[in-house]
Amino acid sequence: MSINQTAPSVGLRASSGGQVVTRVPGAVETDRVRFARRRRIKDNLLRWGTPVLVLSLWQLTTALGVLDEQFWPAPASVFAKAWETIQSGLLPEHLGVTVQRLLTGYLAGAIAGVALGLIFGTVRSIRVALEPIISALYTVPKLALFPFMLLVFGLGPAPKIIMTALAVFFITCISTSAAVLGVSDAMHEPIRSFGATRMQTFRHLIVPAVLPEIFVALRLGSGTAVLVLIAIEMIQGSDGLGFVIWSSWQVFDTERMYVGIIVAALMGVIFQMGVKAIGRLLVPWKPR
Amino acid sequence: MPDKIQVHGVERVFGTGPAAVAALGPMDLNIRSGEFVCVVGPSGCGKSTLLRVIAGLIPPTAGEVTLQHEDLRTTLMSVVFQDYSIYPWKTVEDNVRLGLDIKGVGKAEAKPMIEGWLQRLGLLNFRSAYPHTLSGGMRQRVSIARAMAVEPEILLMDEPFAALDAQLRLVMQEELLALWQQDRRTVVFVTHNLDEAILLGDRVVVMSSRPGTVIEEFVVPFPRPRSTELRGTKEFAALEAEIWKMLRQEVRDMVLEQERAGA
Ligand SMILES: Nc1ncnc2c1ncn2[C@@H]1O[C@H](COP(=O)(O)OP(=O)(O)OP(=O)(O)O)[C@@H](O)[C@H]1O
Ligand SMILES: [Mg+2]
Repeated sequence: MSINQTAPSVGLRASSGGQVVTRVPGAVETDRVRFARRRRIKDNLLRWGTPVLVLSLWQLTTALGVLDEQFWPAPASVFAKAWETIQSGLLPEHLGVTVQRLLTGYLAGAIAGVALGLIFGTVRSIRVALEPIISALYTVPKLALFPFMLLVFGLGPAPKIIMTALAVFFITCISTSAAVLGVSDAMHEPIRSFGATRMQTFRHLIVPAVLPEIFVALRLGSGTAVLVLIAIEMIQGSDGLGFVIWSSWQVFDTERMYVGIIVAALMGVIFQMGVKAIGRLLVPWKPR
Repeated sequence: MPDKIQVHGVERVFGTGPAAVAALGPMDLNIRSGEFVCVVGPSGCGKSTLLRVIAGLIPPTAGEVTLQHEDLRTTLMSVVFQDYSIYPWKTVEDNVRLGLDIKGVGKAEAKPMIEGWLQRLGLLNFRSAYPHTLSGGMRQRVSIARAMAVEPEILLMDEPFAALDAQLRLVMQEELLALWQQDRRTVVFVTHNLDEAILLGDRVVVMSSRPGTVIEEFVVPFPRPRSTELRGTKEFAALEAEIWKMLRQEVRDMVLEQERAGA
């Protein structure tokens, strides 16, 4: 076994009994600008080329009859259907309903979760009294509560919005509270030594210290919120993207079903990216 | 007037039961107003704990600390922490302004003071930088500037120059010497560096290994204003040797104890 088989050949010369290890600039260091450009082009090709390739293959296989159009309508017909539903006003209407529910529920849940988490993290007695209940409720499957919500809040939009809020509430509350408790003594000491009030400690220490963790929770919560809302719209009511998907399935309009699925997926992705972008804006001190 | 800082029979134990660690004391130490006292002692002997108790960050488990706050308009004390503890979400300038923000000093009013300190500590060009882009020595300087900016009556410094390179350390020692000779605050300065302790201090307090007590105090006889040239003198070397003789035994004890604990 010679060294050359396992070690990279660049910068390594084997000689009898020993070896010379050299560290030299690589391709990246010798021409940073060109390297960066090449990588950007390659990344973009991969990023946009892959979905295009998948869609083309899909189109091709349905055209050749390999995939059954009944279950796998060709991308072109799905796009045509999407255009049709946009023009008829069906898609904008239902998407609007869902987006509105999502934003209302999500904001309410996130604000309540962060606020309660901050209180838990700071006021010991409230934490001891309430945190076990919150932790226990967190593990209850939220969807199981939906019939109860219908009983209490009726058939209007309220149960859906509340369920969406709950999906993000628990995770932000628990994460925020843990993050506040995780702020180290070493971080507390300087501000305490200056005699800061509780409000000053909040503003200069606690809030900025826990922001990154809050945003991780908010991003996780955004996915769950979309999931819960779409699922509930499928079960009950006659509007929203979930309803579009479910009712299309029931009348076996697969093309419209796909439109609903794709739009719901896009909505989730854009939503999650928005939350992430806001997080970056608010946490400028993090190294990228 | 009573002494500025009176540490009387102070002890600190961490934890309870069989896991309890006696970190400090009983400790007695009196520091006059305007005095510069250096504290040396083996690692883990409770020097940082002593400063935390004086700063009111942790209470003593026995004994009492009494402080004289002479002018209620000024800040009583500020601390330079051993691990700097500067805030990653604040720029250099905002970190240095922290104490003034807490005191409610307006930004405009604080600006000239902050700039003065940034200037003195060689940070002016980095005022808008976030700490993660700074070297360890620069972070340490930010934390020194933060403590200085409130112009406290008492300055507690926990190995403030430990993270600086040897050359910068010399410069900072001179700078601190000059500053202190101007306004004569009360300073408690923890260091591992005997040479630094003698150069800066009116008095050098030697602590025993854990739990730390005062085993010896040396009055530094050299007149003020001092300069770093003092180092070359015979008397300086003699005093350093004398303190080291005292300390060496304690450091040995500490190492032996740790070996026993590890075995
Ligand atoms: N918060 C704490 N909890 C438990 N033990 C502690 C705590 N802080 C300090 N100790 C212990 O108390 C002892 C003294 O610690 P301290 O930090 O005061 O030492 P030191 O003299 O500053 O040491 P060094 O020179 O290494 O900084 C050590 O044994 C340490 O492990
Ligand atoms: Mg220490």
